[in-house]
Amino acid sequence: MPDANVLPDATTTDGALLVLAIVLPAAGVLLSFVLGGRYAERIASVLLPSGLFLATIIFADVWQSGHPLIYIVGDWKPPLGIALRADGLSAAMMVAMAIVICAVAIFAHADFGTRPGSVEARAPFAFWILLMAIWGAMNMVFLGGDLFTLYVAIELLTFAAVPLVCLDGRAETLQAALRYLLFALLGSILYLVGTALLYGSYATLDIVLLSRQVRMEPATLVAATLMTIGLFAKTALFPLHLWLPPAHAGAPAAASAVLSAVVVKGSFFIVVRLWFDVMPGMLGAAGAQLFGALGAAAIVFGSVVALQQQRLKLLIAYSTVAQIGYLFLMFPLALDTAAQLQGGGALTGGMLQAISHATAKAAMFMAAGLIYATLGHDRIAELGGAARALPMTIFAFALGGVSLIGLPPSGGFLAKWLLLEAAVATGQWWWAIVMLAGGLFTSGYMFIVLSSAVAPSSEPLKLRVAVPRYQEAAALALALTSLLLGLVALGPVDILLVGRPDSMMVGPR
Amino acid sequence: MIGETTLLASAFVVPLGMLLACLWPPALNRMPSLLAFAPIPALLAVLLVASDSSLAIGSARFRLTFALDRPGAMLLGVAALLWIASGAYASQYLQGRPNRGRFVVCWLMTLTGCLGVFLAADMVGFYFLLALLTLGACGLVIYHETPSAWRAGAVYIGLALLAESLLLMAFVLLAAQIPGDSLLIRDAAAALPTSPQRDLILALLMAGFGMKAGLVPFHFWMPLAYSAAPTPASAVLSGAVVKASILGMIRFLPLETALPDWGTALAAAGLFAALYGVVIGITQRNPRVVLAYSSVSQMGFIVAVIGMGMLAGDGRAALAAAFYAAHHVLVKGALFLSVGVIAATGSRRLWPMLLPAAIIAVGLGGLPLTGGALAKFVADELLGDGPASTIATLSSVGTTLLMLQFLRSLAKSASQDPQATAAAGLVWPWLATAVVSLVVPWTLYLTVPSGTLPDPLSPAVLWKALWPVLLGAVLAIALWRWWRSLPRIPKGDIIVALDGGMQIAVTWGKALGQMDRFLRQWPAAGVSLLMVTIALGAAVFAR
Repeated sequence: MPDANVLPDATTTDGALLVLAIVLPAAGVLLSFVLGGRYAERIASVLLPSGLFLATIIFADVWQSGHPLIYIVGDWKPPLGIALRADGLSAAMMVAMAIVICAVAIFAHADFGTRPGSVEARAPFAFWILLMAIWGAMNMVFLGGDLFTLYVAIELLTFAAVPLVCLDGRAETLQAALRYLLFALLGSILYLVGTALLYGSYATLDIVLLSRQVRMEPATLVAATLMTIGLFAKTALFPLHLWLPPAHAGAPAAASAVLSAVVVKGSFFIVVRLWFDVMPGMLGAAGAQLFGALGAAAIVFGSVVALQQQRLKLLIAYSTVAQIGYLFLMFPLALDTAAQLQGGGALTGGMLQAISHATAKAAMFMAAGLIYATLGHDRIAELGGAARALPMTIFAFALGGVSLIGLPPSGGFLAKWLLLEAAVATGQWWWAIVMLAGGLFTSGYMFIVLSSAVAPSSEPLKLRVAVPRYQEAAALALALTSLLLGLVALGPVDILLVGRPDSMMVGPR
Repeated sequence: MIGETTLLASAFVVPLGMLLACLWPPALNRMPSLLAFAPIPALLAVLLVASDSSLAIGSARFRLTFALDRPGAMLLGVAALLWIASGAYASQYLQGRPNRGRFVVCWLMTLTGCLGVFLAADMVGFYFLLALLTLGACGLVIYHETPSAWRAGAVYIGLALLAESLLLMAFVLLAAQIPGDSLLIRDAAAALPTSPQRDLILALLMAGFGMKAGLVPFHFWMPLAYSAAPTPASAVLSGAVVKASILGMIRFLPLETALPDWGTALAAAGLFAALYGVVIGITQRNPRVVLAYSSVSQMGFIVAVIGMGMLAGDGRAALAAAFYAAHHVLVKGALFLSVGVIAATGSRRLWPMLLPAAIIAVGLGGLPLTGGALAKFVADELLGDGPASTIATLSSVGTTLLMLQFLRSLAKSASQDPQATAAAGLVWPWLATAVVSLVVPWTLYLTVPSGTLPDPLSPAVLWKALWPVLLGAVLAIALWRWWRSLPRIPKGDIIVALDGGMQIAVTWGKALGQMDRFLRQWPAAGVSLLMVTIALGAAVFAR
């Protein structure tokens, strides 16, 4: 068994890779500013794949060794310095997000591509820079070893995400972006206040050091509560979801895909870090049930409202509201008899749900964007003929739906299975009912959309543009990833549990 | 043995491969003419593979296992036969029709799922193939794209996914009961009787499989789906696909252990469905709808056999139910195909076509020497002499009556053009299925050791089978006499109540939508933020 309580003060071999994962996107952003907008896409098209490659190496490293990767910045040990850590959770999330971001980049080439000889345009310039910024911020969220680095990361993430909402500059998207910004700002303040309180109590924000010192006392609990609520607001957990539907539905397709698939996972990941790693014994039964209750309400509300939507992108946005709810069901399910949050089936299930939703939802937003581009609208009732015009796109949309519903062999199914198993093991059948009902609602709105798309059109379809094949391929590739994600269960080792203090997992058998 | 596992794997890998090949447009264009070949490996596997070989894929923690047990092999074999014949029928049926590609894809999905389910020996694989089957079958039901087809498809997939949710819950509960990491159905069924959550699991399993088997009150999808689907699809759906639920019951329910309460409940539900299907079915005019109600009735009877086995803890029920189901696979498939053939046949050639249909139809009621009589004979052993046996005899009378009503509506549905003849590509698969449905039950009966049954050809046995058929025929004459005074019941009968339920659901949904709009206003969101903060603070402080 590896030394689970890895000391925070030792840079492991290959630890420098972690720095590279953060520096690379930052360099890309700066370089784009220096060289100008016409080069932004070219820079991104080099850096994003190398980012995916890097993430894969880190993933393989963590998997092979069964230990987290650690880098101590400048050799200043915490609490003075900053540590970067990649455990199983970070490595898996990094790879998943890099895959999604790369696919989005391919997809976005059609809308935000820079043609040779063209003049610098605002939207493409902004898009590519923001995309790289989001990628860097996400890596920082996954690797950051202290709560302040995470604060910086989540701020960067928010400020990169908000402009993506209003890239087209229409009044309604500007309004949506402003809504998002204000609410996210509220979340930031709450998080920052919580961080300050923690620092005042313990004189460190390093995750490992904090987790050893943290005590049950009012200041800590207040801090944890404020930070959590702040992150809830940024994750758009029901009932704090007011900004999500207009923002995600109004943004350009590529941006929606990033926002729905990637950005909301950042703040969610910090919630997981906070409660699973910093203070696993603090949430308690009542708190965990509250997390679950909010998640369940999100599932029911999000799904039922999605069923009533007239427009495809709004439907998908509400589906995101519902799917975010699933992520929070893992908290009550991960609680053991001693009221400690344990990394086990529930945590694996929850993170798998996050990854599977990321890939599926990105594919669905891309598909919706292609449908919009082709038909000139996304009114669900008038989608007739879309399946004939865009068979590959509709197929990708359907596969994404299969994963959301949780049918095998998708990642959604494996996640659901693990979460249900945890519900049975802990005797919390009520969450099982919510999960199963959510699946049925999901199949309901998928059926509505697909039946409308498959039906023949009442009048001859006027196709506005011919959609490039690679855009369809990008959506399909992501949908297939999500569909086949469940097959990881056939693999030998549970990488998500690498580096968890209580995990019994060892390296490849 | 390597050869045997390869053969076993090819049973579902070949259809799956053909399904994947459909992604390549030239292959998709050729596929309609190849449908009949997809199930052949499955048939070979049944004939050549010893019953104890199995195939496992995956790691120690999550493993997919495929194996042939005796009930599974029996159903797989006849299902493969029906799929071959229906595939040949479909090849002809599809000529000159639109959307062939979609039909073929859905067909192969359903086929892979259907054959795979009969082979799946672990719960995850079983669930996966069941889901694949459901999606494919839904696609087949909505093929014609008429409003009623859409409605049937929506009802079908809604109910099927609901059933699968219940089953998934049951499977997860079962997985928690099995010691170790095994997900094998065999281990699950063994762990079930002593499990502390036995009653919950049994309820979930029975509800889930019951919905899929069309037990009353979850039968309404059958008349809708079978009348909406294209003819060859109706044949395989009503014949082969629906038997997945029967096999599920056989495999998951602990038949060796006597569970009188649950057994009684299941048997009662089954026998009620057996009679209910007849009562509603005789009021119907569309031959497909009559057949669908006959399916409700027959599936109910099979479920009752399983229930009686559970009641008595009699493991023989598994084989008896599988045998009865195997007969029903072929007969119901052949009858649905006959609907298509007769609809294309004019009055001049009607009788040669109607006669084989008549023989197997009345055989379903238990006409001596047919497979139907044999199936009832085998099932009789389990039903005993009590009320169940009386109801079984009643159902026999009723089935004969229902089948005569079917034949009457079938004859009326013949083509208006007296000279019309059905294409040979439709007639031959149908006739082959009809012949097979008469021959195969006898072959199975003679080759599969089924204990010490009395001679099925003794005069007493023959008479016992014959008189309900004669009584049914007499009743049919009476029925047609007073035909006009019968109430007209819409197909799917109680689905009318479901529409009312939908209204209520829509109202509730709208209310939730309004609440969402309210919560997404700034003041409300601010209050929510405050309240969630207070709630979480209180929750963590409360410890």
